[in-house]
Amino acid sequence: MNAAEELKQSFPESVTGVGLQTNKPLAVIKKEDLLMIAGKVKEMGFDNLSVVTGIDYVDHFEVIYNFFSYNNKQNLALKVILERENPAVDSLFSLYKVADWLERETYDLVGIRFSGHPNLVRILLPDGWEGHPLRKDYDMNKEQWVTIGEDGEDIVSTDGSGILRRK
Amino acid sequence: MEKGGFRVDPVTIDTTKIKTEKKEPETALEKLEDTGLISTLLAARERKGLVLLTTIDQVFNWARLSSLWPVTSGLACCAIEMMAVAMAHHDIARFGMEIFRASPRQADLMFVAGTVTKRMAPRVKLLYEMMAEPKWVISVGSCANTGGPYHESYCVLKGVDNIIPVDVYIPGCPPRPEAWLYGVIQLREKIKNEGYGAKWGLNK
Repeated sequence: MNAAEELKQSFPESVTGVGLQTNKPLAVIKKEDLLMIAGKVKEMGFDNLSVVTGIDYVDHFEVIYNFFSYNNKQNLALKVILERENPAVDSLFSLYKVADWLERETYDLVGIRFSGHPNLVRILLPDGWEGHPLRKDYDMNKEQWVTIGEDGEDIVSTDGSGILRRK
Repeated sequence: MEKGGFRVDPVTIDTTKIKTEKKEPETALEKLEDTGLISTLLAARERKGLVLLTTIDQVFNWARLSSLWPVTSGLACCAIEMMAVAMAHHDIARFGMEIFRASPRQADLMFVAGTVTKRMAPRVKLLYEMMAEPKWVISVGSCANTGGPYHESYCVLKGVDNIIPVDVYIPGCPPRPEAWLYGVIQLREKIKNEGYGAKWGLNK
């Protein structure tokens, strides 16, 4: 029995499906029970949260949490399915401190909000950037440029003044 | 002096011979004497020295192209290739370029080595503007030339020549050190043939 099936036995109502993702156990869970199940996952010995991924499937979003156990050398993935409009899910920051940056990255590029996160701001793109680039409806034709302000802060502009050469 | 050798003797000026009354030169010979060229040649002949006549363009360009100091900046994987170029096997020191300066104030040349992202672009531009004239830029690799594999990305500049002028483009992903050195040689040829004040628009 793998870790995902153990979770299914412990929480038969919260875990809606189990399977394999690249030969590693995967459990699809309800988003309301994420914190409870992640607490159980941590008790099971999965001490490392490797990656948090957000995927845009046009009609819905998915967030995948990849856990790893250094003691047992095991992988486990949790998947939550979010609605298209205003996708939000609980933050895992209270359980895994690394979730701070991983969730900021997912918020930055996919635009999923993590409620309970202490500092949910962009991590890669500058603060003034419009849109979340890994969404399918991101406008690729709209160029955005970055310049440096007087205090060293990033300023986003759409016309490229102050950065592009005059030709 | 040694036969076949080359030695430049300093020319001493006899201050007693300086005319106190300044007279405007009239004839062609007087005008030539007024430049000091003839007295220099005569003094050199007395000392059995050699005189080298050249032009400002040639001397300055030779000095500039013989010791191009690059600024220490790398943006992505092309910078790893830059390290290979600088190491002993390919040895950029053959061109007098081994001194990668840690300050743009002391550098003549910038290798834009790697992907220029939108957020890095103002920093690259600032680095270029901090360099003292005369300065040159070599764009290295597909990313810096045109955007390369990231041409349709939302966050990558489509060619670094959108923000700063580029003298030489080196294609490759990343370019081999041989291609890199060929680009350096092309830049040296370019400097050799440009006018002394070309960077200021004085003579082309």
